Amino acid sequence: MSLGRSDKSTDFETGRYLYCVVRSDDQAEFEADGVEDEPVYLVHSDGLAAVVHHCESLYDADDMERVREWLLDHQAVVDSVGEQFGTPLPFRFDTILTGDDEAVRGWLDESREDLEAYLTEFAGHWEYRVEITRTDDPELEDERLAELDAEIENADDGTAFLLEKQRARRETDLHRARDDEIAADARERLEPLSSEFEQATDPDEVASFSLLAHEDDETAIGDELDPVAARDGIEVKFTGPWPPYSFAPEL
Amino acid sequence: MDETRPTRRQSDLADMLELLLDKGVVINADIAVTVGETELLGVKLRAAVASFETAAKYGMEFPDGTDMERVERAAGVEEIESDRPELDELEIEAAASEGESEENDEEAGHR
Repeated sequence: MSLGRSDKSTDFETGRYLYCVVRSDDQAEFEADGVEDEPVYLVHSDGLAAVVHHCESLYDADDMERVREWLLDHQAVVDSVGEQFGTPLPFRFDTILTGDDEAVRGWLDESREDLEAYLTEFAGHWEYRVEITRTDDPELEDERLAELDAEIENADDGTAFLLEKQRARRETDLHRARDDEIAADARERLEPLSSEFEQATDPDEVASFSLLAHEDDETAIGDELDPVAARDGIEVKFTGPWPPYSFAPEL
Repeated sequence: MDETRPTRRQSDLADMLELLLDKGVVINADIAVTVGETELLGVKLRAAVASFETAAKYGMEFPDGTDMERVERAAGVEEIESDRPELDELEIEAAASEGESEENDEEAGHR
């Protein structure tokens, strides 16, 4: 048994590891080194092409560093396909069709209607990710806080302790309200530029968005993020363009 | 003032690796084999990406919500623990993150 490839239930005689599907001229060629340096090539079927390599089992390893390498290799292939063919329909890591190239062609034909619809929808569109975080706490101007400060100043130790707690709670509430306001503002700015939009909830962040947007709107998205990023104590991380993983369908 | 433009630095890739395990086209066909078919493998791969060491090194976070439940469930299976040493590690992580997952209850239904 080779290192890291195990699990008898997922072994098969012949299989094709799938990276993505693109629209392609049937004569087009693509070569790359894939996961574990496997040679990657295209399986064509009448205007569609699946990007694949040969394999006999699912990728499975106990070595985490190795898994990370696989993921990076997978992503590198999809990226380079994207550069050559435009937005690909990206598959989840470790998706394999059992059988040979003919089986892949059969599946492409069977799924043609869906594949073409999604490729049309995604054409020229990419996934962009926006994370908004608080880098430091802004100065809070609030009457209640000022009142509490004054009361704390004049209170004895025991009372001051309780008032401090109240103050901290008030501060948390104010921060949360500000975060929510910033998140809503950002969402309002970005949603019109997105054909699909997802907001994730992460308690450590002010907001976290995934959006599917046209590559021509990349600059406009950046422009909308400028005023958000310019706010005190706020950092905006804007990454992309990525293959549209978050918006990929079940087929 | 700097203009906000998307970046694709090496560090930004860390986020993507998680998406590769969690998102992307899923095929429901008889000839398809995916990690989804073998829960354990999925949990292992996810843990690999999200392990403490990796997270610290590459600035990633443990996927929250349902993922933690999966990890916990899988880590609770005894026979797997005994012949797969890496799952001991997993169980420790699951236990360590239990407090966190309570806070994240809202997100449990997200994915």
